[in-house]
Amino acid sequence: MKYRELDPLLHSQLRLAVISLLAGVEYAEFTYIQEQTGATAGNLSVQLNRLKDAGYIELIKKFRGNYPQTICRITPLGRQKFAEYIDALKDYLKT
Amino acid sequence: MENQEKMMTGEESLHIITEMINRTKGNIRQASFHILFWGWLLFVCSISEYLLHKFTNWATPWYVWFLVIPGIFVSLIYGYVSGRRLRIFTYASMVYMWTWLAFLIAGTVIFIVTSKDPEVFPPLILSLAGMATLISGVIIRFRPLIAGSITFWIFALTAYFGGPDIESLSVSVAMLTGYLIPGYLLKRKENNNEIQRA
Repeated sequence: MKYRELDPLLHSQLRLAVISLLAGVEYAEFTYIQEQTGATAGNLSVQLNRLKDAGYIELIKKFRGNYPQTICRITPLGRQKFAEYIDALKDYLKT
Repeated sequence: MENQEKMMTGEESLHIITEMINRTKGNIRQASFHILFWGWLLFVCSISEYLLHKFTNWATPWYVWFLVIPGIFVSLIYGYVSGRRLRIFTYASMVYMWTWLAFLIAGTVIFIVTSKDPEVFPPLILSLAGMATLISGVIIRFRPLIAGSITFWIFALTAYFGGPDIESLSVSVAMLTGYLIPGYLLKRKENNNEIQRA
């Protein structure tokens, strides 16, 4: 039996946590994701940029008062890749 | 969460996905504000109309309902300001917000089309409020709000069949059972959740 390969970009703890979180919401702020995943700001920033470069998420920078704010939102491609990852995972877990 | 390139098993992946999805499920903060605000505003309007009609000679006690107009602005401004502070916006929040905006629009349309026959306005608006309240209760999984929505429909019927005095009182009692009691229970739950999060 041939298995579908798990997307290497999603098959990592932090990136998978980010995509899973964003898949269930309209958008989430950087600090909220940091709080929920327990990641450091630098680490999270690197992983978010990798997801953004692949087109899985979009990052919107804006200001709330005098403070910079980063809003993260999953893209249709990110949603599709997440669904494919879950399908592949189901096959893997069945065996 | 540690470094990210560490290989995971399928079970670990599944665990992360489930945990993250559960953390955002049904996350609607401060839903009680609008329920309590409108509960009190409409309770005051309806009970004032009843008392003015019963104990004074004022010909147009229904004027008290004009308080609803500034109420709409207060609600919209509060929603806008608190929405800007949110760090997460879930699909549940979006459905919740649009349900009540649709209620506002539909309520305005009903107000216009029943302006020549104002007695039918209370039962219709109570029925509509029952629907919006039921959807809200289901979204946030809060049974007192679901139960409150059913009382809206009961009092819509008493308002229609009970005559002018019963009509105003039906609206007042519906505000107590449909908004205020569930609203305070929800506020208590929100406060408990905030304490647990701290």
